[in-house]
Amino acid sequence: MSESLEEFKDSFSYGSRNDLSFKFLKRLAPDRAAEAIRQILEAVGTSFDTGEVDELHDLVIRWQVAAYAPEAGSPRKYVYHDAPWALPTKPLEASRVGLMASSGHFVAGDDPEPFGVEDMTQLEAVDRIGEFLRETPVLSKIPRDFDPADLRVRHGGYDIRSAVKDFNVTFPRDALLAAQAVGHIGAVADPLYSFPGAASQGRLRKHALPGWIEMLHEAAIDVLLLVPV
Amino acid sequence: MCHVSVGHVARGVEESGIPTVAVYVAAFRFVAEEMSLPRTLITHHPFGRPIGPVGQPARHLEVVLAALGLLEAAERGGTVVEMPGRFAAG
Repeated sequence: MSESLEEFKDSFSYGSRNDLSFKFLKRLAPDRAAEAIRQILEAVGTSFDTGEVDELHDLVIRWQVAAYAPEAGSPRKYVYHDAPWALPTKPLEASRVGLMASSGHFVAGDDPEPFGVEDMTQLEAVDRIGEFLRETPVLSKIPRDFDPADLRVRHGGYDIRSAVKDFNVTFPRDALLAAQAVGHIGAVADPLYSFPGAASQGRLRKHALPGWIEMLHEAAIDVLLLVPV
Repeated sequence: MCHVSVGHVARGVEESGIPTVAVYVAAFRFVAEEMSLPRTLITHHPFGRPIGPVGQPARHLEVVLAALGLLEAAERGGTVVEMPGRFAAG
């Protein structure tokens, strides 16, 4: 069976070769995707001799930037010209800092069970990404002092391999605690928050966000660190 | 879509009076700019690893401190600052 270049590059985005670190290939025109693959393979070959992979990683990042950049003149949906602005009311060293990430973390025993599914796997979350994008996101409260062995991550929109190995790459609890330990911030708020960011924007804004904001105020959070993934 | 979701959270929370700062990877800088977020730190990290490589707490702390620093340093909404340094795994 023959396969076109277009079919090949598209297969990395929720297709037969799904790889969420490389799903950006689908966004490139076939000739540019071919050039991206050529350059990446060339960099792999170079790394055999140098043992240096930073250039390879930089190359992939540059292609991700190029692939996701909106095309000139393409219609844009979420463009705002007013930037909301609130000033901190106290210095950082006296502030209670909150953390909210769209990383899809939760703790064992508190699985949000999307669509009523118990113990949904990452693979199923990937398969059902279209349904997630039509749903209201569920916010998970994560105790600040969680045991890493109890933390779970599931998100159909990104490659969770790094987050599985080290939650801090998407959910920087330990860095916040380190900042607290040296007095850079007053305290890390408890609990921390995570949700799967692949969600309906209308439902997020209308049904979820108002309650989340109320909760953040009730938790007396002074400033909020946000980590989209 | 995650980056748009967080953009809406940032805007809503900031409008409610709680200052926010977000850490976006370079590939989604355009989302932070289009959505006019209050404060954004851009890391030159791959999609899915916004804070840094696995097992590098020093880099994670560096990124988080740079982000928190924007809460004191930024003077107006729409501030976007690039984090120095590359993604250096291993």
